[in-house]
Amino acid sequence: MVHILTFCTASQPEIPRHPLELLAAARALSAQLGEGTVHTLCVGPASGAYGEELIHRGADRVLTVECPSVEAEIALAVVESAVRHLAPQVVLLPHDDLSGAYVGPCLAYRLETGIATDCGGFAVQGEDIRWLRPVYGGKAMAYMRIRGPVQLATMRSRAFDPLPADPTRRGEIQSFPADWESVRPQIRVVERLEEKEEGELPLDRAEIIVSGGRGIGSAEGFAVLRELARVLGAAIGGSRPAVDLGWVPHSHLVGQTGKIVAPNLYIAVGISGAAQHIAGAGSSKTIVAINKDSDAPIFKLAHIGVVEEWEKVIPALIEACREWRS
Amino acid sequence: MHIIVCIKQIIDPEVPFHLFRIDPVAKRQIQGTHPLVISTYDEVAVEVALQLKEKVGGRVTALTLGKKEALQALHQTLAMGADDAILLSDLNFEEMDSFGKARVLAAAVRKIGEFDLILCGRQAGDVELGLVGPFLAGELGIPCVPLVANFEVANGTIRMRRPVETGYEILEAPFPLLATITNDTSNVPRYASVKGLRAAMRAPIPCWSSADLGLSADALGPKPLRIEIDELFIPHREMRCELIEGESGAEKARNLAARLKALGLIG
Ligand SMILES: Cc1cc2nc3c(=O)[nH]c(=O)nc-3n(C[C@H](O)[C@H](O)[C@H](O)COP(=O)(O)OP(=O)(O)OC[C@H]3O[C@@H](n4cnc5c(N)ncnc54)[C@H](O)[C@@H]3O)c2cc1C
Repeated sequence: MVHILTFCTASQPEIPRHPLELLAAARALSAQLGEGTVHTLCVGPASGAYGEELIHRGADRVLTVECPSVEAEIALAVVESAVRHLAPQVVLLPHDDLSGAYVGPCLAYRLETGIATDCGGFAVQGEDIRWLRPVYGGKAMAYMRIRGPVQLATMRSRAFDPLPADPTRRGEIQSFPADWESVRPQIRVVERLEEKEEGELPLDRAEIIVSGGRGIGSAEGFAVLRELARVLGAAIGGSRPAVDLGWVPHSHLVGQTGKIVAPNLYIAVGISGAAQHIAGAGSSKTIVAINKDSDAPIFKLAHIGVVEEWEKVIPALIEACREWRS
Repeated sequence: MHIIVCIKQIIDPEVPFHLFRIDPVAKRQIQGTHPLVISTYDEVAVEVALQLKEKVGGRVTALTLGKKEALQALHQTLAMGADDAILLSDLNFEEMDSFGKARVLAAAVRKIGEFDLILCGRQAGDVELGLVGPFLAGELGIPCVPLVANFEVANGTIRMRRPVETGYEILEAPFPLLATITNDTSNVPRYASVKGLRAAMRAPIPCWSSADLGLSADALGPKPLRIEIDELFIPHREMRCELIEGESGAEKARNLAARLKALGLIG
């Protein structure tokens, strides 16, 4: 029997997609390893409300920890205590800012066990798991072997589709007695600064994303891209230089170290097509590239391309779309 | 304030797909004619260290674990403004996982002695595991603060600024601590001047071996390694890009709009 533990934070009323993807991954893994159970550790103020849905989406048992907020050190302590208590053979965490950069690595250190971060899949042979993950910014892929008392992996978003909800699935929901109250976090958030542009769509739910890179050249240029996004009802994204130059907020970064998105249409403007950027946009159904350099790598990765300076294309594109609207 | 920055030298991560080659037996990238550089986020960490030093005074020491050619990365850090640099190099260091690397770095930090802050890039630009920073914090028993973009000083307190989904978080934690560094508008690395580089080339850089650090081969962790690449390959990508033609930019735009509309993607 192989037990798999997945981790879900519950700080908003609706379950986000990522922990449901983890459950799909856990079920696929469990099926290949032979029968076993999938447990989900659900931590946060909304954990009680998530229980049933997690079971409908593949969990056999949901362990809830209703703490008021999921700070990094509390999350680490709770996950560690669950792993020590349940002794699962496999632990799957989401590869996000909390678990990919903190909980996963710190847990591996404490358990003296290997970890594979940012995994997109796995290959199973007998009891042996090899973890598939991008390396070199996604220019190559690696099957990793990890050794230690537990197989620990953080899974990148969009690698698995959530299983459809099955309301007939039954499972247990119980509260897990983790002693989070005695954790005295050393890292304290003393202030939160909001930095949201009015009316901007979040990247993860957009059907269309208009994304700009260094080639846009200025904040004024980005205002033109935002106009296109408005006309198309699209979200705005950016490459790393666009973020570093302050043209788009960090939360709109697309790529290896930003968001992984999969819209119907991804319009990349003034973006060269570095592997690290495409790592976040490669699952888009259709990628359109607008770049003045016909040799730009993006034209090897896009479905539709326009070789032209964006300044000559985008205003006319806005016009054309506006005409249809009216 | 004594800030230690851990940097890794890697093959230029900006090498495009079509020039990227691997050795599937050695399970690593082939350098070919591509330059060696400081890994992107480690260079950002150097910038963050220098900015903090400019605010509060003190010293920046750059530390790298690598072969002799990694001296070049240390020269660059010195030219950017770091005060000291140390190379950790030994044949024993070449077959290690993130646990072993963290142990070597921790031994070097202990040998250096006093420090207030350690900075590491959020992940290296090659294998991108993002483990050495948190593991090093574990080895030293100090807090690990992930994904910090810079440090602010207000009323004698040093605070960290971290970009998050909704904007920024301002954090406090007791020093000494280790922070992993991410990019934002505030920390685009400065260039090393040619003059600075020339001076840096003359600066003595100590090289510490496993004996200098008092580490036996066994101390570097168990074999087989706990984290290992088993197989490396280049994914197959076949994409034919349909180019939109036109006499002018405006015509291309209209043709593109018509094509996207025909595909049901817009409108
Ligand atoms: C570990 C690591 C992680 C990274 N993570 C990310 C990530 O998450 N996301 C990310 O985006 N990057 C990431 N990067 C950086 C990445 O490697 C590239 O440096 C970056 O994506 C390049 O951004 P860009 O395409 O905007 O800029 P450039 O590569 O400079 O390309 C600009 C393009 O604009 C074109 N252009 C210029 N003027 C015009 C014009 N007038 N009209 C049309 N086109 C024009 C040029 O032809 C060029 O192709 C990462 C790097 C590393 C090492």
